[in-house]
Amino acid sequence: MTSPAVEIRNLTVHAARRCLLEVECLQVPARQIAAIMGPNGAGKTTLLRACLGLVTSFQGQVRVLDCNIARLSARALAQLRCRVGYVPQLLPTHGELPLTVREVVAIGRTGRAGLFRSFSKTDWQCVDEWIDRLGLAALSNRAFSEISGGEQRKTILARAMAQQPELLLLDEPAANLDIGWRERIIDIIQTLHAETSISVVLVCHELEVIPSSCRRVFLLDHGRMIASGSPESVFTDGRVAALYGAGLRVMHEGGRHAVLPQGGEHV
Amino acid sequence: MFDLVFWLPVMAGGALAGASSGLLGTFIVGMRIPFLGVCVAHAALAGAVFGSLCGLEGQALLIPALGGSILTALALGLLDPQRFQLDDNVVLSFLFSATMGLAFLGIGLHGILGRNDNDVRSLLWGSLSFCRWRDVGLMLAAGGALLFYVIVFFKELRAIMFSRADAAAAGIRANAVWTGFLVLVAVVLTVNFQTVGGLMIYSLISNPAAAAFQLVKGCRRALALAAIFGAASGLGGFLISAVTDLPSGAVIVLVSSTLLAVAAVLRRLYWAGRRF
Repeated sequence: MTSPAVEIRNLTVHAARRCLLEVECLQVPARQIAAIMGPNGAGKTTLLRACLGLVTSFQGQVRVLDCNIARLSARALAQLRCRVGYVPQLLPTHGELPLTVREVVAIGRTGRAGLFRSFSKTDWQCVDEWIDRLGLAALSNRAFSEISGGEQRKTILARAMAQQPELLLLDEPAANLDIGWRERIIDIIQTLHAETSISVVLVCHELEVIPSSCRRVFLLDHGRMIASGSPESVFTDGRVAALYGAGLRVMHEGGRHAVLPQGGEHV
Repeated sequence: MFDLVFWLPVMAGGALAGASSGLLGTFIVGMRIPFLGVCVAHAALAGAVFGSLCGLEGQALLIPALGGSILTALALGLLDPQRFQLDDNVVLSFLFSATMGLAFLGIGLHGILGRNDNDVRSLLWGSLSFCRWRDVGLMLAAGGALLFYVIVFFKELRAIMFSRADAAAAGIRANAVWTGFLVLVAVVLTVNFQTVGGLMIYSLISNPAAAAFQLVKGCRRALALAAIFGAASGLGGFLISAVTDLPSGAVIVLVSSTLLAVAAVLRRLYWAGRRF
């Protein structure tokens, strides 16, 4: 039997004497897409960061790709992180940055290439392959800081994929994007998953971002998991109203999901 | 008459200080922490001041100066900003104020204890005109070590420049590489500091790199152009000051600032041209 991509037991994360996260049990099976949902401040990003070993003080067990994060040395943790692609919520976009799109994608190969080694031909081939597959070829020599927000998200996704990861962690991959770009990013995630069969953990707070192939959702609120299961079973009208306020209803159609105001179909 | 034998090491020192500062400035400005230069320079000054209080003088002050700057670099590198939830610039401002306070406390103690502080005061402003081949040799060794480090860890430093947190998340040994780089920054700046002074170091770190970022894309090109701009500022500034008899430090700072202004205007003209 294949081990789960992510397995969490009795995880608690505290910061400044405040409990940020308290999760009894969470399992993401290998080669599946799972979504971690919840309102702002629910602890979604903290959970993702715990999976990468970026949360320094926590209690409980976090196993990622069959490795117990708490027991890894710095070197072993770095090796594990090479097997995990990560797309953070916030992107560094300051204008002073001289890096081109190709150089940013190449960052994904850096850990795998290892210290004291320059990139091999294979490394650059992998970088260029993901630039092509995500439709960034025309932008590859442009400065990262000069391209649009959607293109930057695709660049960071290409960077994560250039790692040839076994697990992809996406933190709000459609944040600050318009509907067109959001749909393109969702489509890209679905296609990548279908083509490579990697495990994907997606953090978002909008139901619209959940791809149709995602059949497992974990719902967090105030650092605790309050529900898990299929999107249809987790997001009921009652639960959405309790979480986000009255006057909202959920629509599930063709594997996609949306929240509308009550009577929204007449608006 | 222009005595080439006397002024040649001065010109070489100015060009070398500019080139090495431009090189490390590319990463420092790229990470938006140009304040690092002033912070390390003041840590070196604090080290030298307390070295002087202990009876060291002349070239021997380089040892405590290196000690002060390397300790500060290690503190900055090993302090995990995520654990302490502090921005790099906040840590820098803390270290800068602490080292500046220590430096001026030490200078004050010189007066109280009746010690001669001429050596220490000359470090504040540098003394490019007194740069000799021995100083050039030291600058060359420090700059060479920096260049070697940048070549060996180029891909890691490029990733760290983009985002230290992202680099660590991608499996790069970001803290180790960054701390090593900071130690070299401390060595290069301390060696340059005694020749060119604190003010000039700051301008030679920030301006050539910022000018290069205006004109080229790509990390390698930015590094090369920043080093060239730095060397041009150091050498050009000295030559202008020699011809006009103006203070060399001030002219070098102004040349590097002018380079940045010209680069920014050229970039605007380029973008305006592309729109039409």
